[in-house]
Amino acid sequence: MIKNNYIVILLLSFISVASFAQDAKNDLSLNLGYYNNNNYTHYLVAHAKTKKDGRFQTVPDVTVSFYINNDSSAANLLGTAVTNDKGEAYLLMPPSAKDEWKKSAKHSFAIVSKASKLYDEAKATMDVSRAKLKIDTTDDRKIIVTVLELKDTSWVLVKGAELKVAVKRLDGDLNVNETQTFTTDSTGTITAEFKRDSLPGDVNGNLTLIAKIEDNDTYGNLTAEKVVKWGNKFQYVSQFDRRTLFARRGHSPWWLELLAYSIVVSVWGVLMYLVGQIRKLKKLGV
Amino acid sequence: MENLEKQKMVDDLLPQQFGKQGKIWVAVLITLCVIGFAAYCRQLSKGLVVTAMRDYASWGIYISNFVFFVAISLVGSLITAVLRLTNVHWSTPLTRIAEIIAVSAITFASIIIIVDMGRPDRFYNLFLHGRLQSPIVWDVIVITTYFFISILLLYFPLLPDLQIMLKYKERTSKWMYKLYGMLGSFWKNKPEQFKITDKAINILSITIIPVAFSIHTVTSWLFATTYRPGWDSTNFGAYFISGAFLVGAGGVIVAMYVFRSHYNLKKYITYDHFDKMGKVVVMLALLYLYFNVNEFLVPAFKMKKPEEEHLRGLFTGEFAPIFWFAIFTSMLIPIMILITKKGRRPFPAFIAGILVVIGSWFKRFIIVTPTLLHPFLPMRDVPASYHHYFPSWEEWAICIGSLAGALLVITFFARIFPIIPIHETITETEEHEHDKK
Repeated sequence: MIKNNYIVILLLSFISVASFAQDAKNDLSLNLGYYNNNNYTHYLVAHAKTKKDGRFQTVPDVTVSFYINNDSSAANLLGTAVTNDKGEAYLLMPPSAKDEWKKSAKHSFAIVSKASKLYDEAKATMDVSRAKLKIDTTDDRKIIVTVLELKDTSWVLVKGAELKVAVKRLDGDLNVNETQTFTTDSTGTITAEFKRDSLPGDVNGNLTLIAKIEDNDTYGNLTAEKVVKWGNKFQYVSQFDRRTLFARRGHSPWWLELLAYSIVVSVWGVLMYLVGQIRKLKKLGV
Repeated sequence: MENLEKQKMVDDLLPQQFGKQGKIWVAVLITLCVIGFAAYCRQLSKGLVVTAMRDYASWGIYISNFVFFVAISLVGSLITAVLRLTNVHWSTPLTRIAEIIAVSAITFASIIIIVDMGRPDRFYNLFLHGRLQSPIVWDVIVITTYFFISILLLYFPLLPDLQIMLKYKERTSKWMYKLYGMLGSFWKNKPEQFKITDKAINILSITIIPVAFSIHTVTSWLFATTYRPGWDSTNFGAYFISGAFLVGAGGVIVAMYVFRSHYNLKKYITYDHFDKMGKVVVMLALLYLYFNVNEFLVPAFKMKKPEEEHLRGLFTGEFAPIFWFAIFTSMLIPIMILITKKGRRPFPAFIAGILVVIGSWFKRFIIVTPTLLHPFLPMRDVPASYHHYFPSWEEWAICIGSLAGALLVITFFARIFPIIPIHETITETEEHEHDKK
């Protein structure tokens, strides 16, 4: 009888463990970011992560719904997006949200991913105050950036905001001088001196300056850009006709042509001489 | 030397008609060539898709066969040039065997490369649009040069023999007699003529050595100048040349045995020749083994990540059976056979030679294909079959056909011309007798 009880307890515990294992889901963590590029393009980015083997890993293929005003009702739905391989889902602010955006100086956003076989429902919110950056330059190569925030209906200067000023390059942004970050003064302004002399620009010497506020709790991510003629003019020099080992036919280096042809000519010269000797042999045999 | 003795020598060394075995041998070779040609016609009409070569294994047994032919052709320079220039006289009966192996091998090396191109009508592009910077163009130049030198090196010593054969009209067919006349009727055994041919042979012997080294070095550079696991080596030129001399010497031993037994040339290709050639093969096998140790041990010691998959594939993976078969048959077993005096007798030496030749063919396959199946970047978005390579029947038929073709050239040459130089053998015997007195 006792033996049977043990078997029942074991079976029950096995069933409960098995059912627990079936129901076990990983926690999905969502984060939300707001981006405003050049005071023109607004978009939201959702990041999906989960903890596996003690490490955070990005989660692809998660459908995320984006809402405005922190209210996940259908009326406030901005759109949905699916996370990519990096666990990121992007949503450009739709034109339909323009009126709602203009209504207020502060907004709340929410993102929601529904429960799936692998993950429970997850949610994240963020508040954003409407702000913008203004970038200007002087003739003596100084960059003046002003941070403005919308309060009720007017734009006011922001003091103590941290920002970066850089030049846009192919592989990332290059700081305009040795200062990594600037903080706005009481006039909401910073002044940065451009110290990147002899930087290659485009064919007209144009460089693109960028001022950016990154991951700010109040304003999100803001950028402003300005094109200036402070770079060196880039002159394209064609390598097409250069004599190199990697050039096209007839454009091999002189030393190679000289070496190769002199070897070929001397060896075949010897062979032709020997063919001539056969003719000589024939004459001797007549 | 008495005239009777001379006559006996000439009788022994003149080309002989095919016996029953010879006819069967020729029939088998022709059949294999015809099958190979039929497979090639099929490849021509359907394209290279009939082969097993795909995006990754784009060089298969055609290129292995090409490298093998180029390798075996080097024996011409070893026996004819190196031994002649170093005044080694025992090799005289073997010079023509070595030269005809060289000529037939280099001919089929050129043919097989055209087969690999898929579109023979585009061959002229190599000349019209070839880049001097490309080792492929160097290969075309060097192969053509080597072929021409080998032909001359075959022709000049043949002239006195042609004159001898022209004396035996009754023993030759009409067309053969015409051919001898066309090639050598002007030879009158004049001292001036001998002077010119001796000089020409010496010049050719000197010229052929750097060209022979170039031909196989350039072939090795086809691989070594590309950045791939297994090919990215500075050792490749020397590694290829040592391997080429080995397979060539192995091939000569096989040919020596076959001609000796079927043309009854035991008086001319003696035990001493097998003994000496056996020693040459042991030396070359040890040299090649040394380069193999360099080629595989050093990268295996470092085991760089991109090389690892390739090396493991060779040592213990997919290609391990062929790899170890090639190492054992082309080097280790022949060394074990030929290192003893008994092993250098004709028959064991012949077996060792066969092993060297077969093992060397597979060695070329090991050099060419496994590397292509282990690229630095992972293989993606391709069918599973692209990850492996096993030649199609068309590839086998063409390769076997080309090998049969090379043997057929040697066989017909031996039927038409004396396979052992008659005049040189008589002269050397006379000199030898004179020295004795």
